[in-house]
Amino acid sequence: MQKPTIMPNPNTTEHADGLTPAYTNHLSRRDSLKLLAALAASAMLPALAGCEPTPAAKTASGTTSAEHWPELKLQPITAKGYGKDPNLIMPPEAPWPLTLTAAQLSLVALLSDIIVPQEGQSPSASAVQVPTVIDEWVSAPYPSQQRDRLTILSALAWLDDEAALRFAKPFTALGTTQQLAIIDDIAYDNEQTPQQFQRIVKAFARLRNLVLAAYFCTPEGIKDIGYLGNVPIAGAYPGPTPEAYSHLNKTLTELGLSDFAYPVS
Amino acid sequence: MKDFAYDVLVVGSGAGGAMAAYELTRQGHKVLLLEAGRNYDPKTETPMFRPNSAAPLMGTSTPDKDFGFYDSTVDGGWQVPNEPYTTAEGSDFLWWRARMLGGRTNHWGRYSLRFSEHDFKGKSRDGLGADWPFNYDDIAPWYDKTEALVGVCGTNTGLDDMPPSPEGVLQPPPAPRVPELLIAAAAKKHGITAVPMHRAVLTKPLDNRAACFYATPCGHGCSIGAAFQTTTSLLPMAQATGNLRIITDAMVKAVTVDAQGKVTGISYIDKKTTTEQQLSAKVVILAASACESARILLNSKSDSHPNGLANSSGQVGRNLMDSTGAGLSALVPALMDRPRYNEDGHTANHLFIPWWGHKAQANKELDFPRGYHFELGGRFGEPGAYVSGNLQGYGTSLKQQVRAHYGSYVSFALRGEMLPNEHCYMDIDPQVTDKWGIPVARFHWKWSEHELKQVEHGLKTAKAILETMGATVNELPSAEDAIRKGGEIIHEVGTTRMGSSSKDSVTNQWGQSWDCPNLFVMDGGVFASNPHKNCTLTIMTLAMRNSAWLADQLTAGKL
Repeated sequence: MQKPTIMPNPNTTEHADGLTPAYTNHLSRRDSLKLLAALAASAMLPALAGCEPTPAAKTASGTTSAEHWPELKLQPITAKGYGKDPNLIMPPEAPWPLTLTAAQLSLVALLSDIIVPQEGQSPSASAVQVPTVIDEWVSAPYPSQQRDRLTILSALAWLDDEAALRFAKPFTALGTTQQLAIIDDIAYDNEQTPQQFQRIVKAFARLRNLVLAAYFCTPEGIKDIGYLGNVPIAGAYPGPTPEAYSHLNKTLTELGLSDFAYPVS
Repeated sequence: MKDFAYDVLVVGSGAGGAMAAYELTRQGHKVLLLEAGRNYDPKTETPMFRPNSAAPLMGTSTPDKDFGFYDSTVDGGWQVPNEPYTTAEGSDFLWWRARMLGGRTNHWGRYSLRFSEHDFKGKSRDGLGADWPFNYDDIAPWYDKTEALVGVCGTNTGLDDMPPSPEGVLQPPPAPRVPELLIAAAAKKHGITAVPMHRAVLTKPLDNRAACFYATPCGHGCSIGAAFQTTTSLLPMAQATGNLRIITDAMVKAVTVDAQGKVTGISYIDKKTTTEQQLSAKVVILAASACESARILLNSKSDSHPNGLANSSGQVGRNLMDSTGAGLSALVPALMDRPRYNEDGHTANHLFIPWWGHKAQANKELDFPRGYHFELGGRFGEPGAYVSGNLQGYGTSLKQQVRAHYGSYVSFALRGEMLPNEHCYMDIDPQVTDKWGIPVARFHWKWSEHELKQVEHGLKTAKAILETMGATVNELPSAEDAIRKGGEIIHEVGTTRMGSSSKDSVTNQWGQSWDCPNLFVMDGGVFASNPHKNCTLTIMTLAMRNSAWLADQLTAGKL
């Protein structure tokens, strides 16, 4: 798997992207070309049929678009699952064929590293194969993963549509500031979220959760989050550390529960 | 099996069947045991220490593995390939099955709470359901023996919902962890007591089983034998006597009878050759699980037993009960960003909340008749396929949100007693057969007001405790929305209930069918009621007691 080297950082200057995803092929396989053309045209119009006009918020590097959504028509995954009696000791390395295109995978890798960049001793998401896990997830034949497949592939397509509308380039070809201008608009779900981003905000949140889960599952992620289990203990289970008890006692005091504390020997 | 002169044929290798085989072979009786699933060896097949990252989809649940990739269940879950079940129109019911040696004991929760006199005599108290045909004192010594054999950790709490075990029977419970200690204090403020859960998990070595080393979820199975399952305990112990033979991949179709209606043996499908085989036996014990045993009986029709075998009362398949189930969880801000330590423990709750409402119910202060308990959740669990928290943004600030939320959610899982009702039962689907040509079970289900009011009470109580911990709890769902589906708690019992009269029960107190003296049932089907305390310990206890009685009958030549 190709690993992008982009380190998203608001302070970096825009730079030419080294990735060359097969973007034309990617677009040609979707049904959204006509929609994209319509959107590009309508961006100059005050209103699009079916959409309320929204005030165009200026950002540092582009104008937000009107509401749009790539209505993908995906072929169902027909691969078999791992079955009801898989080998649990040696799980299947490749339980079903991966389906993301090179371009999609590159975009997933880029987004994964925006979501989980390198931080101190902790590597970035793409450095620990998170994009491969996402590919496995969206390529799985199970109903829940097939729903996520539509959500995530739609999010990927939306990002390219949005990038095209704002900057006339695919997302991976944008500079970091431009990329983050778009991500800043879709990474927060609150009362201020503009109408035209509400759908993509939820789709991005699903991708974000998967990226985080895949990251924190890895040995590096486990270290980062501080999970200390899955090691054998000889003798009795030791229970909380003195530091943990001290935090508990402080909490009990703050909540007015000290008099009701469970007796700990 | 011509070289093996067995007396007793046992159907099923789970909690009931393996215990029956253990007790009978221990007393010198030869037993042939049939298991519908494949052979299974926890010593070589259990994914000990395997991380979620090594499993497909980060180990998450799928229709192939309903409880996650590493769950030990083989060829089962909510669906068994090519062995369907149906539900009547308007009924929701889920039926968990396994097709493996040891059955569902390979993955069960290991919660092991004794029923009490209060539990056995509910009808005498409130007029609902059915009493059991014995008293607590009759079964207490068998609970003692079963707990000692199985290995149960916990303490005698002195609470009215928890009958004590004799000194030295229970093994020490593991130390409680921070979220449990916080819940315990908050509950205490409401006058509700949390105590150590009783679990069939060794904290000291027993026989050739090792003590728990506090890693790897018990539901994956346990290669070291610390978490009880029949495949590392009762079955090898019974085999060591030389008195047990096991046939796996043997799907029992029917119990056979002679022209006079006397039980002569069974017919089964050998799944490997897909051929039907006959076995004769002096005594047949059904322990295939409550609904599978009832299915076999209902499918064993003959001229002498036109409504199915052992069904002169019409009660086979009736009185189907599960536990009530509902859950409530919330973020506890005080638990955010707390100091890390290893909170795996024995991988389930160390503390739980037993039913505290005996007096309130006696005083008619509650609008539902039977009790429930809370299993408590919340710890630094192994990261998996989902990350909790109202997460926003991206980058290092996002990661910090994830770290802050880690281990800060707690949950209350309600498990309560339901009462039998006329709408909850199973019968045989007249249209559908499985791959082997055997007519399948059809389920009918409707919760009553008793269960819904109980769940409503539980949700309100959990909310009050959570708020005392500083949590914000959203508006509660209605009980109808909150209660889990029938069967979903996997405590289905009652379909061949025992009683003191052949008119309204299927077996006597020994699990012996009223209609056929050489036919026994030793699974959860014989339960006369379904107390909130998880059925497996009592299934095993009854199987031990009733097999000991059967052994005496055999020795005395009475069967």
